[in-house]
Amino acid sequence: MTNLAVVFLTGLTTGGLSCLAVQGGLLASSVAVQAQDDFAHSSADSIAKNGSAKKHVALPIALFLASKLVAYTILGLLLGWVGSALALTPQLRAIVQIAIGIFMLGTALNILKVHPIFRYFNIEPPKRITRYVRRRSKHGDGRLITPIFLGALTVLIPCGITTAMMALAIGSGSPIAGALIMAAFIIGTSPVFFGLAYFATKLGERLHDKFLKLAGAVVLVLGLYAIEGGLNLAGSPVSFSVFVQSMASQRAASQQAANQVPTPATQDASGSSQQPSSAGTLNMIATSQAYSPQAIQAKAGQPYKLVIDSQSNRGCGRALVIPALNLQATLPETGQFVIDLPAQPAGTLRITCTMGMYNSRIQYK
Amino acid sequence: MTTQTFDVAGMNCTACVMHIEGLEDEVEGIESIDVNFKQQRMVVEYDDSKVTQQDIVQAVERVGYAATVQESE
Repeated sequence: MTNLAVVFLTGLTTGGLSCLAVQGGLLASSVAVQAQDDFAHSSADSIAKNGSAKKHVALPIALFLASKLVAYTILGLLLGWVGSALALTPQLRAIVQIAIGIFMLGTALNILKVHPIFRYFNIEPPKRITRYVRRRSKHGDGRLITPIFLGALTVLIPCGITTAMMALAIGSGSPIAGALIMAAFIIGTSPVFFGLAYFATKLGERLHDKFLKLAGAVVLVLGLYAIEGGLNLAGSPVSFSVFVQSMASQRAASQQAANQVPTPATQDASGSSQQPSSAGTLNMIATSQAYSPQAIQAKAGQPYKLVIDSQSNRGCGRALVIPALNLQATLPETGQFVIDLPAQPAGTLRITCTMGMYNSRIQYK
Repeated sequence: MTTQTFDVAGMNCTACVMHIEGLEDEVEGIESIDVNFKQQRMVVEYDDSKVTQQDIVQAVERVGYAATVQESE
């Protein structure tokens, strides 16, 4: 599963401010109805003394944000469902994920204003919708209904980072994961929205440009992360993790040659532990953190049983994929799972998860 | 009614588009504003007896962007 903490932090640090211009306007309109009512009944002095206006204003802000959270969570659910419907095969899922990564890179480069061509990655809702949302916000006639309505309507006017998160939700390929991604992001943005609306400062505008650059950098990294996952899922020999493994192998081999110390039977050249394969059985451990060992040695031309020991595995690592065999399996949270591997020629058989983030490989020699 | 195209600088995403288009409800005399984010420009339809090009440029500057009249128009 996508790291929800990263998504939350993206919302907390950059998403809130970068999306504040338009959605903050809707929020201000939500609050305005209540604020006007407060000021009609209280003097400015008494408000300053007992803070009653702030107390009243907090309610529409909270309603707006709660409504927005619900709307985006439902959106995430739908996007994840779309993603799950699209991801029929590991190859198709890999293509979708790489496309999402490219979209996120384009969004980031648009935010960073690298070249005008990246403006084409900006999604614009129909003008009729944006006009309707804007005018509805200025003519709010219900004290509590208006913030709820406007909070839900923000789903129609996502900004750059929000659309990147929506892409991530599609890429998750799961309604639950999609909903969690969007919820984590919106919860992350909420303190900024609440704080700025509550204290009504101009801090956001002053820091907006700096935060936009930070936001662009974060989306850039998320985009590269998605492409990396897609490449792994496609079983591509070219990816960042393959490069790192290759470098580690070379380093270990050169160290071994320099020291003239034989590699222990339980260590492969990359330094990751592996068990000797015997009696046609290969063993692998899957946890919430990783698949291990990173490399398993096997003989070419011999069929094996791959015994996977799943240990408190609650992440996307449960959804295991062997792209070359077009094989998908859902591992138990805890327990053993056995896959019959047909005889393979000499080479590498990649094992990954549906997001391409957990990786192992069987090296047939 | 007059139609004029302006180049707009400083837009980052859809939020900025909405921000500028919101001026059509705030500045008297502006009938409609159609912002094109990709081309970074806007087409404004306005009543020149109520509002001038300079007023429009200043209104755009007030919401945080820079607008200049396209000379080719």
